[in-house]
Amino acid sequence: MPTIEVSYSDLCELIGKEIPIEKLKQHILFAKAEIDAVNGDLLKIDSKDTNRPDLWSAEGIARELRGRLTDDKGLPEYKIEKSNVIVKVDEKVSKFRPLTVCAVAKNLKMNKTSLSQLIQLQEKVSGTFGRGRNEVAIGVYDLSKIKSPITYTTAKLDKKFVPLDFEEELTIKEILEKHPKGKEFGHLVKGFKEIPIFIDSAGEVLSIPPIINSNHTGKVTEDTREVFIECSGFDFKFLMPALNVIAAALIDRGAKVESVKVVYGKKPIHTPDFTPKKTSVDVDFVNKVSGLNLSAKDVAKLLEQARYKTSVKGRKIELFYPAYRQDIMHQRDVVEDVIISYGYNKIEPEIISKKTKGRINDLEIFCEGIAKKMVKLGFQEILSYTLTNKDFLFNRMNLKEEKIVEIENPISVNWNVFRNWLLPSLMEFFSHNQHVNYPQKIFEIGDVILIDMKKETKTKDVRKVSAAIADSRISYSDLASLLDALLSNLHVNYELKKSKHPSFIDGRAVDVIMNNKRIGFIGEIHPIVLKNWKLEMPVVAFEINLDEL
Amino acid sequence: MRKGKRIELTEEGKTYLKKGLPERNLVKLLNSSPQKSLSIENARKKVGNFPIALKWVLEKGWVEKKAGKLTLIKLPRKTEEEKALKNIEQGKEVDGEILKILISRNLVLRITETYIKTEEAIKKAGNVIGELTHDIIITGLWKGRKFKPVNIKAVKKFDELKIAPGKRHPYNYFLMQVRKKMVELGFQEMTGPMIETEFWNFDALYQPQNHPARDWSSTYSLKHPKYGKLPSKKIVNNVKAAHENGWKTGSTGWGYKWGEKKASKLMPRAHDTAITPRYLAKGVKIPGRYFNMVRCFRPDVIDPTHGVEFIQTGGIVVAKDIDFRHLLGLLKQFVNVIAGVEEVKFYTDYYPFTEPSVQISGKHPDLGWVELAGAGIFRTELTEPLGIKEPVIAWGFGIDRLAMHSLNIRDIRFLFSRKLEWLRQQKVVR
Repeated sequence: MPTIEVSYSDLCELIGKEIPIEKLKQHILFAKAEIDAVNGDLLKIDSKDTNRPDLWSAEGIARELRGRLTDDKGLPEYKIEKSNVIVKVDEKVSKFRPLTVCAVAKNLKMNKTSLSQLIQLQEKVSGTFGRGRNEVAIGVYDLSKIKSPITYTTAKLDKKFVPLDFEEELTIKEILEKHPKGKEFGHLVKGFKEIPIFIDSAGEVLSIPPIINSNHTGKVTEDTREVFIECSGFDFKFLMPALNVIAAALIDRGAKVESVKVVYGKKPIHTPDFTPKKTSVDVDFVNKVSGLNLSAKDVAKLLEQARYKTSVKGRKIELFYPAYRQDIMHQRDVVEDVIISYGYNKIEPEIISKKTKGRINDLEIFCEGIAKKMVKLGFQEILSYTLTNKDFLFNRMNLKEEKIVEIENPISVNWNVFRNWLLPSLMEFFSHNQHVNYPQKIFEIGDVILIDMKKETKTKDVRKVSAAIADSRISYSDLASLLDALLSNLHVNYELKKSKHPSFIDGRAVDVIMNNKRIGFIGEIHPIVLKNWKLEMPVVAFEINLDEL
Repeated sequence: MRKGKRIELTEEGKTYLKKGLPERNLVKLLNSSPQKSLSIENARKKVGNFPIALKWVLEKGWVEKKAGKLTLIKLPRKTEEEKALKNIEQGKEVDGEILKILISRNLVLRITETYIKTEEAIKKAGNVIGELTHDIIITGLWKGRKFKPVNIKAVKKFDELKIAPGKRHPYNYFLMQVRKKMVELGFQEMTGPMIETEFWNFDALYQPQNHPARDWSSTYSLKHPKYGKLPSKKIVNNVKAAHENGWKTGSTGWGYKWGEKKASKLMPRAHDTAITPRYLAKGVKIPGRYFNMVRCFRPDVIDPTHGVEFIQTGGIVVAKDIDFRHLLGLLKQFVNVIAGVEEVKFYTDYYPFTEPSVQISGKHPDLGWVELAGAGIFRTELTEPLGIKEPVIAWGFGIDRLAMHSLNIRDIRFLFSRKLEWLRQQKVVR
């Protein structure tokens, strides 16, 4: 969900009429957006659709709203003439970043607002729609400083140029290491022997996509009158709409966009291509999904407001939609546009009449029962994260490390593995409450994750209960009788068997056995473990596997 | 008589031995009256302890009571009780049953060691009863004595930090209440593993493999174990085709080369919806309503509104002929039952797996307008490859925000609070 900033007065100007802010808040729903905050003239807008980059600018929102609020309905027409700019694509880029599509925009009349909209749109399209510049990187350049033809080729890492916002020349290697954009996007060219580069016929560097423009050609200001635009990546399906989104926004502000001849080997293509896309929708399907009862004429009218060109053919409507859209995969995508155009809040909600029988999971009901018994035995329930770290699970518990479920990209070393037992969560809890009145009687019912290579997910969630008491004087038998109260209540026939466990004092670790199977353990925590958690009171604890009961 | 135990007549017992039992005195009176009969009123005036006397003469069948008059049936001989009183005075043994009656009539006392000790203690305390004990109750020494009144000002303020009763965790308690409301609405609970393959978390939900949400920075991946198993070839092939070309759904698909290896990567479940496609593939009841309430994991920067781990709730409704209007109806019903919200507004929304999609905001009694839930109708590209022909409504509820409100906390991390004092002070009922 991209968040964009838009000037209210600029937006009204683009729509072509003054719309009170309260009204705008309602109308903007038709552009799949919501106004999150109003700060003077500045609107913070939350654009809902990650698949509609055409709506991520003042120009795009205005275009959509004109369809509803003005006579500018139906398909927006974009006429593109040919420019004399040529881009030659060198075979060498095919290994790294094979494709580019380009355009030229002239007669720009930029001001602070329109420039910031252009920059914002470029960032959002390449960042969100372009998957962090991987699928789409966009460069905008001052055309007056470029000599066509431009070559899209590769360069060695020792090639030098002055990157944007720098004053001196750096090698590409230095840019990747030192320039903020080099650091941010360097991972996209990691391991590349050569780096893709745009160079004009005078040998001037335009940019190294997807990293950075040059300072000479790649600097666009309010005074820039004409620009060269390129989008580079791997798939025309991403590149074409991205270029169209930028081009349409510039045209909406009065620029004249011209196409560029991009030559792949001997095959030239002309971009941008604004040929409208074709699809169709069944009126009956619209009504089936929406629950509305619309005629073909109604549907056509609603779609015209949503910037489609329509022609009704009986119960079917043939449609053309703008080339900057790439989100329509199925009829139901068109249906949503119909419903949005109709207005979500005009639809009468209907209750589903078919009755079904509800049920809580057996395990949850069982655990609820256990929790209630533990509470009656005087324990305070606690709730912890399943994510934790090896130090807590093993080192502090005086255990040797085992293989457990481990996160590859943790955001913190505190949370980089999943717990394989509960007791450390309780010990951690005690360690945060050293100065609270004793006795402290706590329990947790929760899942731990064990590795089980036989399972589809190579793991197994196990539901457990663990309880612990910390007090100035507390011993095994105090807790053992409470455990007995719990298990006897559940009619569990169990035996206790002396055992060894490094977290517990030697001779005071006891296994809980049911049907010759170990279902848990109970004992007095070893002073070494207490010290590791910086605890000064003795602790007794048990842990029982509830899945075994 | 065992050592340390003897029996003695009470003051009352001694009096009766001398002056006769009340029932004896009553029959004697009747016997000396004309027609051996007397009105109850007159008898009451002449016999001490009349209610006791009356009880016994009627019970023993000595006297008939009719129209306010008592008439002697026969004059009894000396009774067992009378004999026993005499014997007790002379230190002779008496029958156990009779003794019990005499003790219950408070004519005889069992003087035990406990009796003596307790009596001494009471005397020491000024012949009033302070604490009522087990011993005082069994010896009957409370009878005829005064109880010391309580000092109502001597109550110590209940301090939960010192006297901590066992309690449920408030968030768990809240979640169970929500579960119960879901059941009321006819929903059945679903579960699934915390570690999922990307296949179920994303691919089966028609989320393309290069989708930004599948990015390294948006979801966790695992160092160990790394890859899981994919489901049946049939389902995998259907899903693959749906992504690549839309399969038989009438869609164009996302139009890229779908990879099995990426799909079999393991990850901690990033959203609760990951559970749903497993159920759809296994086969659901139609009509059916299902919900889940599970932990999810995302590498979000931790702040007051984002935790590393959080609980999401969501679910589906599958039925023939349900449409967007039913979706709105369901959401409205939800926010009413779960959040007590009456007034709602619908907004557009986007999920890769639903179309059309919608977000519901409601006017919460305390919070004002808040976003409450996101929902939509599952895309055909999702349902058909898993074998579902009917429309499926899917929804997710912002449960943590409601919990935060209900528990009066501002920071989401506090839902997993480690502060014992806070937990001990929480209002958790039942």
